[in-house]
Amino acid sequence: MKELPVRTEGAFAKRTNPLAHVFDEFVRFCRSHSLFMLHYCTGCGAIELPPAMTSRFDMERLGIQPMVTPRQADILLVTGYVSVKTLKRIILTYEQMPAPKYVIGICSCTVNGGMYWQSYATAKVLADYLPVDLYIAGCMPRPEAVVSGMRKLMGLIKTGKAESWKDYYRRYDHYLGNQQALFGERWQTPTDVLGEAQQYGLHGPETEGEHTALLQQVQQPLIPHRMRLK
Amino acid sequence: MMALIVELVLMPAVAFVVGLAMLLMMRKIAAKIQRRVGPPFFQPLYDVVKFFGKQTQISHGLIHDVGIIVAVGGYIAAETLIPVPGMTGIADRTDVITLIYFLMVPSLGMALAAGQCANPNASIGISRALTAMLAYDIPFVIVIFGMSWMYGTTNLVQMVEYQQAHGWGLFQAPLLAFAGLFALQGMLGKQPFEIYVAPAEIATGPMVEMGGKYLGSLIVMQSFSLYTAGILYTTLFLGGGVTWIDFLVKAFLVVAIPMTIAFQFPRYRAEQMLGSLWKWPVLAGLLGLAVVMWS
Repeated sequence: MKELPVRTEGAFAKRTNPLAHVFDEFVRFCRSHSLFMLHYCTGCGAIELPPAMTSRFDMERLGIQPMVTPRQADILLVTGYVSVKTLKRIILTYEQMPAPKYVIGICSCTVNGGMYWQSYATAKVLADYLPVDLYIAGCMPRPEAVVSGMRKLMGLIKTGKAESWKDYYRRYDHYLGNQQALFGERWQTPTDVLGEAQQYGLHGPETEGEHTALLQQVQQPLIPHRMRLK
Repeated sequence: MMALIVELVLMPAVAFVVGLAMLLMMRKIAAKIQRRVGPPFFQPLYDVVKFFGKQTQISHGLIHDVGIIVAVGGYIAAETLIPVPGMTGIADRTDVITLIYFLMVPSLGMALAAGQCANPNASIGISRALTAMLAYDIPFVIVIFGMSWMYGTTNLVQMVEYQQAHGWGLFQAPLLAFAGLFALQGMLGKQPFEIYVAPAEIATGPMVEMGGKYLGSLIVMQSFSLYTAGILYTTLFLGGGVTWIDFLVKAFLVVAIPMTIAFQFPRYRAEQMLGSLWKWPVLAGLLGLAVVMWS
């Protein structure tokens, strides 16, 4: 199975079929009208999402639905302040999502720490650790603001500008460096980001650097737990 | 021969399009009951295209891929065994017993696929899905047996012809029709019997590790399952269809009944589902069977 040809980004760029452009636009249109969101309810902003999804504002008329697992989701909503422990889970969740994936930071806390800017246990700027597509500022933003932010994201996807998930592969060293500064040098995730960057042709000059070198030194291979009965 | 091949291709294709429309109807019914606007007309199409257009697809191994193909393929094969207006496919050569076997294949394919994901939620979901299959298959088999006894044949094409000559099965065996509708609710996995999807409890069960084209295939599979359930009930009880219009109206109505019931209900636990499905539809089915065999 390993020898199967994999279409990479380079192969996409070399296409000469004039209809391919039309097809890509159709796929982008469908993508923008079908957004499944994984709301990672870290803080108070989460309370504004149920009204946005239920009968008053009804996000489903825009094709936006809640989903419960990262594998099925397109949008990762980070709603509110991000403590250091929570950030680890957010990164694990983000790396499990299939691309194209989008991150939305809701509330001021994800922009600059908000009212927790002095806290020792809170990650201040979400964009240092993950590529954020869109911020919806406010403390907390009302459902109208959330819906208008979603519409803006739909516009970005339709025009092909919401491509920040590629940035995570291309500048992985930068993001990993910030993560290591917060979590310590032994930080690692189960997802092989470097391998995925190679696989999908998104390996850039800034993908690897001193931080990924450190990761490769300390990385423990994933071994399944031995099954035993007590 | 050529006509048969065209029918074998066309029947699943029609099933896919109609199934997507049924999926849209399901979401619209949910929206109307919850006083929402609901999704736009092409929403199921957008979802399917989006899932197949994902740029990173995460596979967990060979059986994960094969299981999904088995799950969708089981339904594609089942579509060719049910007669629709103007097309019989291979329905006149086989019978409803073959169809019962084919309708079990998708659950087993999904079990294979979810098994390789090695996610505890997927394993719980699959054990619940197979429990659910055990629950609804007993009334379903009683209903199939009763209707075959009444029509004197197991061939679906002959059943349709019998009903068009002697009146609908619904009026001749109302108890069996009730049992069939009850079993349909379990077969579609809708709300009171939604034990294996359970989004808030086991995080969508077997689908937990499915993303991209895998989940897209499962959406296709769900649309097939809605269509199959609708037209099978129509064929057994509502006299099939003379034209596509009355056939589709009947099929959509049949699917709309479990949907409308579903969104008013919370979820039963596994043993409550087994209890209610082995009690009421089985009792009604056995009574109906006795009536059919007596007369």
